[in-house]
Amino acid sequence: MRTAPKSYPLSWRILDALERLAAMLWPAGLKGAVPYVMLAPAVLLVGLLVLGLFQIADASLRTLDTTTFLFSEDYSLANYRRALTEPLFAAVAWRSLMAALIVTAVTLIFAFPYAYVMIRTRSPGLRKLLLIALFLPFFIGQVVRAYGWLIILGNQGMVNEALGLVGIAPMRLLYNYPAVLFGLVQYMLPFAVLMLAPALTAIPEEFEAAASSLGANWVRTFVHVVLPLARPGFIGAGVVVVTLSLTDFAIPAILGGGSQDFIANAIYDQFFRTSDQGLGATLTLMLVALGSLVVGLVFTLFGAGTLAMGRARR
Amino acid sequence: MNAPLSKTITLWLFVAIALVTLSAPTVVVLGASFTAGNIITFPPEGLSLKWYAAISQATDLRDAFLRTLFVAAVCTAIAIPVGTLAGIALAKYAVRFEKSFQVYLLLPFTIPLIGSGVGLMLVFGNAGVLGQLWPVGIAACVINLPFMIWAVTASAASLDPDLELAAANCGAPPLQTFLFVTLPAVMPGVISGSLLMFILALNEFLVSLLLVDARIVTLPVQIYNSIRSIITPDLAAISVVFIASAAAAIFLLDRLVGLDIFFKSK
Repeated sequence: MRTAPKSYPLSWRILDALERLAAMLWPAGLKGAVPYVMLAPAVLLVGLLVLGLFQIADASLRTLDTTTFLFSEDYSLANYRRALTEPLFAAVAWRSLMAALIVTAVTLIFAFPYAYVMIRTRSPGLRKLLLIALFLPFFIGQVVRAYGWLIILGNQGMVNEALGLVGIAPMRLLYNYPAVLFGLVQYMLPFAVLMLAPALTAIPEEFEAAASSLGANWVRTFVHVVLPLARPGFIGAGVVVVTLSLTDFAIPAILGGGSQDFIANAIYDQFFRTSDQGLGATLTLMLVALGSLVVGLVFTLFGAGTLAMGRARR
Repeated sequence: MNAPLSKTITLWLFVAIALVTLSAPTVVVLGASFTAGNIITFPPEGLSLKWYAAISQATDLRDAFLRTLFVAAVCTAIAIPVGTLAGIALAKYAVRFEKSFQVYLLLPFTIPLIGSGVGLMLVFGNAGVLGQLWPVGIAACVINLPFMIWAVTASAASLDPDLELAAANCGAPPLQTFLFVTLPAVMPGVISGSLLMFILALNEFLVSLLLVDARIVTLPVQIYNSIRSIITPDLAAISVVFIASAAAAIFLLDRLVGLDIFFKSK
C-alpha cells in the first residue's frame, strides 16, 4: 500500500492521460483518416501558393488606367494581348529560354563527371572534399555568390588586374550574356550533382567491370551502360536546372547589370518600376504556365526520375 | 579495378574546372573581407580586420541580420511539425490519391520562385499583413517545404513497419508507438530537413525581395541593394556571415546524419 505510487511513475500517468485524450479526440472508427489529417497542414500551407495563383489570375485580367492609376473593375484580355505582341517581352522570353537550354546542357556535362567521381572514388577524404565543395556554395545563396563573381570579373576585378600584370588591356567581362550563363551554370551545378548522385549510386560497379571484361573501353561503357542507367538522374537534374534557370532573377540582375533581363526581371519591373500589376501578373502566369509545361512534358515523356517522393520512390 | 589513364584525366579535367568554379566566389569573398585597403584590389593591400570592426558598428546590417534570423526561425518552426507529419503520412500509409498528393506537395518546386513570390505578395497584401516579418518566414517555409518532406520520407521509408507492430503487440497504445518508435526513427530526416530549411531561409532572396519594404529588409536583400551601387569590402565581411553559417550547417549535417544522406540509393 505504501509503495504503490512509486511503481507507477508520473511520466506514465501523463502518457496515459494523453493516450485517453487522443482516443477521445480520435475514435478508432476514424483510423482510416489518420494519414489525411497528417497531410492536412502541409496541404493548407501549399494552398497559400494555389490561392496566390488565383489572385494572380484575377489581377492579370484587370488593366491599368494610366490616367487614374486604378485597375479596371471588369475583366479583359488586354494584358495578354500586350504580353504576346510587344517585341520586348518576346526578346526577354527568347533570351531566357535559350539560356535555360544552354545552361542545362553545360551543367549536365560538368555535373556527370563530378557526381561519378564522387560516387566511385575509393577515398573517403576525396568524397568528403567534393561534397563540401558542393554544399558550401549551395548553402551560401545566390547574392553572395554573385557578389564573389563581381569581385573576380569586374573591370577592376581580379581577372582584369591579373591580365594587366602580363600587359593585356582590361576587358569587359561582366554585364553580358556569357557572364549570366556562366553564373547560372555555377549556381546550378550543386542541384544537378545532387539529382544525379542517387541514380549513379544505384548502378552497381560490377556492371562497368562486366562491360570492360567484355571488351568495351571506358567511353563505350559510359555511353552504353552508365549513361542509359543514369537516365532517371538526368531527367531529375535536367528538369530542375531548366526550370530554375528559366525563371532565375538574381543572376541576370546582378551579373547582367540590367542589360540581360530574364522573364523574372521583366515581371519584377512591371510590379515595382512601372507599377502595372495587371501586366506583371499576366507575365507571371505565362511563366508559370511555361514552367509547368516544361515539367509536365518531361514527366509524361520520361517519368518523374529522381524527383519522386514518398512510397513511389522505392 | 584500375581505371585507364585517359578516363582518369578526362574525368578529373571536368571535376577540376567544376571545383574551381564552385569555390572561387567563396574564397574570393573570404579573402576580400580581410583586406586592409578601402577598395577591393588584387593582389590585396595587406591583411586587417578593420572591415569586421566596421560591420560590428553598422546597426543597419546588424538589424537586417537579426531580421533574417527571425525569418529563418519562423520558417523552421513551422516546417518541422508540418513536414514531419506529411512525410510520415506519405511514406508509411497507403494514401488514396497518393500521386495527386505528391504532385500537389511538389507545387512549391514546380511553380517558379517569382510566381510563388508574386502570388504570396498578392495574398499577404490582400490580407493586410504585408510589411511584417512573419509572413516572410511563412513564405520561406512554403517554397522550401518539399525539402523537409523529402528528408522525412527518406528516413521513414527505412523504418521497418514490423517494429511498430511489435510495439503495439507489446501493449503500446498508438500515441506511444508514434512517440517512441516512429518519431525516433525519422529523427535523422527531421534534423537534416530542418537544418536545410533554416539555412535556405537564411539565404532566401527573391521572395524576401518581393515581400519586404525598406523598413524590414533581410540581409540578402540588403546586400543585393548595396552591390548595385558600389562594391566595398564591408559587404564582403558581412557575406562571411553566410559563409560561416553554411560551413556550420555542413559540419552539423555531416556530424549528425552524414553528408551522403542525400544520395542514398533506394
